[in-house]
Amino acid sequence: MTAPRPGGNAGTPPRGIRRIRVPQKLRNLELFLVVFACGINAAAVALVQLGALGGIDLATMLTLGLGLSVLVLGMHVALRFVAPNADPFILPIATVVNGIGIAMIYRIDVSRNVSGWDSTAVRQVVWSGLAIVLALGVILLIRNYRVLQRYTYVAMFLAGILLLLPMLPGIGREVYGARVWIGIGPFSFQPGEIAKIFLAVFFAGYLVQRRDSLSMVGRKVLGIRFPRARDLGPILVLWALSMSVIVFQRDLGTALLYFGLFVVMLYVATGRTSWIVVGGGLFSLGAVIASQVLPYVNDRFTAWLDPFNQKRYEEIGGSYQLVQGLFGLGNGGLIGTGLGEGRPDITPLAQSDYIFASLGEELGLAGVFAVLALYLLFVARGLRISFAGHDDFGRLLGVGLSFVFALQCFIVIGGVTRVIPLTGLTTPFMAAGGSSLVANWIIAALLIRLSDTVRNQPRLVI
Amino acid sequence: MSQLTLLILQLAFLALLWVFVFVVVYSIRSDLFGRRVKRLPDAAANTFPSAAPPTFPASGQAPSAAVAGAAGAGAAASLTAVTEAVGTSAPEAGPKSKVPIFTPLEGSHAGTHPRATTGNATRLVITSGAKSGTEIPLGTMALTIGRSTDSSVVIRDDYTSTHHARLMVWNEEWMIQDLDSTNGTFLDGKRVTSPMTVPLNTPIKIGATSFELRR
Repeated sequence: MTAPRPGGNAGTPPRGIRRIRVPQKLRNLELFLVVFACGINAAAVALVQLGALGGIDLATMLTLGLGLSVLVLGMHVALRFVAPNADPFILPIATVVNGIGIAMIYRIDVSRNVSGWDSTAVRQVVWSGLAIVLALGVILLIRNYRVLQRYTYVAMFLAGILLLLPMLPGIGREVYGARVWIGIGPFSFQPGEIAKIFLAVFFAGYLVQRRDSLSMVGRKVLGIRFPRARDLGPILVLWALSMSVIVFQRDLGTALLYFGLFVVMLYVATGRTSWIVVGGGLFSLGAVIASQVLPYVNDRFTAWLDPFNQKRYEEIGGSYQLVQGLFGLGNGGLIGTGLGEGRPDITPLAQSDYIFASLGEELGLAGVFAVLALYLLFVARGLRISFAGHDDFGRLLGVGLSFVFALQCFIVIGGVTRVIPLTGLTTPFMAAGGSSLVANWIIAALLIRLSDTVRNQPRLVI
Repeated sequence: MSQLTLLILQLAFLALLWVFVFVVVYSIRSDLFGRRVKRLPDAAANTFPSAAPPTFPASGQAPSAAVAGAAGAGAAASLTAVTEAVGTSAPEAGPKSKVPIFTPLEGSHAGTHPRATTGNATRLVITSGAKSGTEIPLGTMALTIGRSTDSSVVIRDDYTSTHHARLMVWNEEWMIQDLDSTNGTFLDGKRVTSPMTVPLNTPIKIGATSFELRR
C-alpha cells in the first residue's frame, strides 16, 4: 500500500505516514464484491421462484434476500472501523456460499410446500443473522488474536465439555443414530461444530510450546525421522478421543475431522512427514477395526463400496440416500436442470447433509465447480493469511482454521460423491443448520481478525 | 415462462457465478505473482541532506538510503523494500556507530521539557540511525521495540535485543521500560533501569537508533 516514497523537501519536515491518507482500497474492493455477492444471491432466489413457482414472489424474495444482504453490509461497514486492513475476500465468499445455500434450501421448501416459520429457509436466514452478529462480536471482542494463546488450556477444557455435552442424559439427542446433538425444548444444536474452533486454538497454543520436543528427536527409518515412543503421547490421546467419538457418538466424520486437524497442525508445526504417516496409519487402523466391530460403520462401508446392489438399496440404513444423491447429480449433468426445475427433494436430508447433491442437480457440474472454487479460494485466503503471520501461534491458528474448513468440505462432499464413505457432516455455510453456520462464520471472523493484525504489524521496520 | 427463457437465465446465472470467482481470482493476482517491489532511489541521500539532525554529530550517521515516510503501514512488498534498504545501508552505518556514543542535546536535560502525555505527544520521530527522519503517529496504545517481527517498531541492528523496550502509557503519560535488553535503553544519555517518564523532545537511544516523542 504505502510504498516507500521520497520524503518532502528540506523546508517542511517529512511528516511520514500522517500525510499519507491510505484510501481504504481493501474495504472498497470488499464492498464491490459484497454487493456483487448479494446480487448473485437475489438472482438465485429469483430463479428458484421462476423455475418452481412460475413467477416472482416479491415478499419472500425480500425476506430471504434482504435479511442476509443487510447484515453482511452491516458487517462490512463495521469492518471499515474495527478491522480496516482485513482480507477483503473472506466476507464476500462466505456471503455468496451462504446465499446460494439459502436459495437451495428455499427451493426444497417450495417443493415441500412449507412457508413461514416452518420454512427451513426462513430459519436459515435467521441463523445466518445470528451467526453474522456473533462473528462481529468475535471481531470486536478479540482485538488481538494473541490473547487466545493465554487461554490454550481453557480452550481445551471448553472443547472437551462441548464434546461431552451430547452424551449427557437429558439434553443429549440422538439423530439418525449419531449422538452429536443437544436439544433444549424446540432448539437443537451441534456443539461439536463449535468444539473444532476451540480445538484449533488449543492445538495452536499447545504445539507452539511443545513442538521442539516433537520435532527434534527420533530415529530415522527409510529416510523419515520417526518420533520417540514417549513423544507419541499427544497423538495417541487424540487418536483415543476420535475413536471414542466413533464408538460413543457414532459419528465417523467428526472423528476424522478432529484427528485430521491435529495431525495436520502437528505436521505444520514440526515439519515432519512422519507425523502424517503415523497419523494416517493410526486412523486407517482404527477405521478398519471399527468397520469390523461396529455395525453402523460397517453399513457405511458396504454402502460406499457397493451402493447399486438392489438389496442394499432397499434395506434400512442402506445406500438409498447415497444412490438418490448420485442420481440427482447425474440428472443435473453439465449445466443442471435449472434452479427450481429438478427433483432434489427426493433425496433424504436434501437440505442439510445432501445440499451439495441438490445443488449439483439444479446447477450441474458448472455450478458445483463454481462453489468448489469458492471454497478453494476461502481456504487459500486462510492459508495465505497464516503464511503472512508474524508469530507462530497466529500462523498455526490460521492453518488450523482453514484446514478444518477444507477437511470438512472434503469429508462431506467426498461422501456425497462417493469418494469416501458417507458421513454426516455439514457443508460449510450452505447446509441447513444453525450450529454449522455459527461455527463457520466464527472461523471467518477469526481469519478476518488474523488478517487485519497481520497487515497492521509492524508499524515501522528499521 | 418458457423453457428457453429459463435455460438462458440458468446459463446467465452460472456465468455470473463464474464471473464472481474470476473477479476474486483477478483481485488476488498480486498474491500469486507477487507485488512489484519499487526500487528505492539511490539519489535519495542527496536530495535529503538534512535528514540527520545536526545536533547529533558524534553518532556519525550519514543520511542513508532509507527514506522518510516508509512506515510499514502494511503490504508485505513495502516491508521487503524496507528490508532491502536496511541490507544496503547497514554495512556503512554499522562500523561508524560501533560504539554508540550519546551526545546530549545542548541544554536539554529532562527537567526542561514537559512530560510527554497522550495529549501533547502525537508522533515518534527517528532522529538518528538508518531511518532518521521517519516518524510514526502515536496513539494511546503501547509500542514494543525490538528485533522480533512482532514488535511495533522493528529495529534490526547488532545492538538491539529481540524484545528490547516498551513505550507504554501510565496515567496518560508515556513511559519507557527496558525489557532487560543486553545493550540497554538510554533516555537522555542515562540508562533506563526502571520505567521512566519520557519528556517531550528528549532522545531515547536503542542500539544505533534514537528517537524522540514530539508534539
